[in-house]
Amino acid sequence: MEAKPHTLRNLAILLALWEVGGRLRLIAGGALPSLSAIFVKLWADRADYPNHVWATLEASGLGFVIGNVVAILAGILFVLSPRALRLARGFNIAIFALPPIVIAPILALVLQGMTPRVTLAAIGVYFVTMSATVVGLSQYDRRAADVVLAYGGGPGKVLRLVQMRGAVPAILSGFRVAAPNAVLGAILAEFGGGGRWGLGAYLLGSLGRADPPRLWGIGLVATAIAGLSYAVFATLSVRMLGASRAITLNPAPPAGPPVAEPLALRLATAAASVALPFVIWWGVLKLLSAPEMIAKTPWAVVTYLFLSDASPLAREKLFSALSETLPITGIGLISGLAFAFVLAVSGRLFPNLTRAFLPVALVTQTMPLVALTPLLVLMLGRGTGLTLWVTISVTFFPAYVMLAQGLAQVPQSAMDLPRAYGASAWRELRLVSIPASMPWLFAATRLTVPRALLGVMIAEWLATGKGLGNLLNQSRGYLDFGMIWSVAATTVILSVIFYQVVLMFERRVLVRMGMTPSE
Amino acid sequence: MRLTLNRRSFLTAAAALPLMPRMAAAGTPLNFQASWLNDAEFSGYYVAMDQGYYKAEGLDVAYAAGGPDVIPESTLIAGKADLTLTTPDTTIQAITIQGAKFKIIGTQYQKNPVGIVSLAKNPLKTPADLVGKTIAVPPVNTISVQAMLKMNNIDVTKVNIVPYEYDPTPLIKGEVDGTLDFVTNVPYSIKLAGEEATSFLLYDFGYTLFNDTVVVTEDTLKAKRKELVAWLRASRKGWTENLADPTIWPPKWKDTYFAGNGREIDNEVFYNTAQKPLIDSDKGIFSMSEEAIAANIAALSAVGIAATRDMFDTTLLEEI
Repeated sequence: MEAKPHTLRNLAILLALWEVGGRLRLIAGGALPSLSAIFVKLWADRADYPNHVWATLEASGLGFVIGNVVAILAGILFVLSPRALRLARGFNIAIFALPPIVIAPILALVLQGMTPRVTLAAIGVYFVTMSATVVGLSQYDRRAADVVLAYGGGPGKVLRLVQMRGAVPAILSGFRVAAPNAVLGAILAEFGGGGRWGLGAYLLGSLGRADPPRLWGIGLVATAIAGLSYAVFATLSVRMLGASRAITLNPAPPAGPPVAEPLALRLATAAASVALPFVIWWGVLKLLSAPEMIAKTPWAVVTYLFLSDASPLAREKLFSALSETLPITGIGLISGLAFAFVLAVSGRLFPNLTRAFLPVALVTQTMPLVALTPLLVLMLGRGTGLTLWVTISVTFFPAYVMLAQGLAQVPQSAMDLPRAYGASAWRELRLVSIPASMPWLFAATRLTVPRALLGVMIAEWLATGKGLGNLLNQSRGYLDFGMIWSVAATTVILSVIFYQVVLMFERRVLVRMGMTPSE
Repeated sequence: MRLTLNRRSFLTAAAALPLMPRMAAAGTPLNFQASWLNDAEFSGYYVAMDQGYYKAEGLDVAYAAGGPDVIPESTLIAGKADLTLTTPDTTIQAITIQGAKFKIIGTQYQKNPVGIVSLAKNPLKTPADLVGKTIAVPPVNTISVQAMLKMNNIDVTKVNIVPYEYDPTPLIKGEVDGTLDFVTNVPYSIKLAGEEATSFLLYDFGYTLFNDTVVVTEDTLKAKRKELVAWLRASRKGWTENLADPTIWPPKWKDTYFAGNGREIDNEVFYNTAQKPLIDSDKGIFSMSEEAIAANIAALSAVGIAATRDMFDTTLLEEI
């Protein structure tokens, strides 16, 4: 890695610019504090932190463990029974698409004590680890399985001796992404849900002080926790990979196409998959025996929106909010993807610059946006500019990771051809790398859709006062529980529909291009 | 080591279970949900807890801090709390629209501390000053500001209302002209940031509401009337003692109630001092005079919330 000194130098330049900008109050009249001011404040507040950090670690740690146990068990079940996977599809996507800012107030309504924090952390963990488990368990070395089978072992033995061992690195790399999710989920629940300890509670208490260094200090501590947990699992994952990767290429042909099922059975499975999230929603509320007035079942939401006297008014409110939110979500989605794409491509063309930018990008992922609101409104105002900024910052990172991975996996021999003919790096990219990474672009789009909606709602909630984000907040003021649940249900259903639309589009295009869709 | 439990000893243990809490508890348990995180707003209750006033009344009060996602009324519905502090507009809307069975049995603030805070160099002193300005308002309170504007014959569309996330930095930097906040609290932060604040209460311009109204469900009122009266009595004692000199108590809670709340003790002293005139009442703290109730009903009807006298129950206060 001869590029390392450059990366460090570029990073140092960035940090120095931050320090100077903060010192001279160049950015937003001093709303961006200098690095040194943040550390001075952190030191002054050092007595406050241990209890808050501990509470956050406790909630996120518990949520991390519970979410992962459920996710791994579910992953194993899905690998053993493809039908279970298809049945749970709707549920899995719904969990992935749940916008945390919508679910946090609902958890605060129906759960108590630490449980909203633990639940939000666990929800943030589930999808990532479950997907990693399924991928890890499915991509084992079939030769090793054949050995077990030849010696009289059954599928159970294969699972235990071959698949589980092979899946460990994949699951660990899932943990890597899941850990920061758990921390952020816990902090969000602490912010809203009352209670004295936790970085989220500290953030809320500190907001009224008009003290940017304090807010940035809390944000950086949250970033450090998330970053550390990421680093721990990344290291473990790399170590384990060395021990379990196959030494030679597996020449065995992949398993044949699945046996075709009768149409009726396929349709029934699809219908059940759509129904399952609603059944679980209903079941959880019944299980908690939450009071009807605050805990709305799917049927109560239908009644609220379509069957009661006040329904037309409720629908009108919801639709007018949607009409404000959806167009900008589309623009935000495209901007976020475009930014991720530019970043991934420039990672190929100018690796040093991109590497220096990445730590900054990571901070934007773990910094609570509430703490950044004053800075953002002062720099960007409260219009479309701010909404796009927030949406891009919420969406680009997962998309970038996916696209960079796609570009990195283009076979060397395919890239060698244009190079041999003297093509420029840009021409090679255009002719080979970009078309070859199409499956990843689609996968990135699917991942980004729910986050774009989340980003727009956060901007509406924090700064612009429009659309669904604002409707959700105002409904709380009116104790309009029906509307709170309607907004939550609508956002999840929309996210799932968008996800499916991208998936359908993806299958068509990739089949036409002669590629295999990743799902 | 293995622990075994035969059927008989299990039954004996099970029979003893219901008795245990009664033996362990100091008094009748009463769950109290506060409306925000720990700060000077709830000083009176901290005094009552520290001085053992609840215990002396035979109560074992469990205190829970609130936050932005905690809707106090919903904790009553969910059975998490026996009594809570609310804003009367949301509570009465829950009664009229959702059919919730709530009663308001007292009020902490005779005058709602909510007001428009601005900088002295760009002051907003009356509702008329808001025309053409940008005001940051927490979305849950937008309804209150619009009501106050209407009462003062100001076109609501002429005031630009944007969300407020409890951080006054945009006000200090001039990005907004005013914020809706507790006037008892945020001027302290503004002063710390080197600016001077000015403010007016919505209350003084027609929006004559209580705040932190003490609310219970009708069921709790029936089942625990004696305990609620005892709670009001002990809390009033705590508040009276706290307000006698508002500078004395907050410093004592530096390492207990206020530990880690992110604010300085000076801020809490400022808060406690500023809220005294809004809480004090010559008929005793928590009291709701007929006149004041009528003013609440009138202000709410201007916003289209149909409050009636029977939603306020003053009989418990009489029993103190």
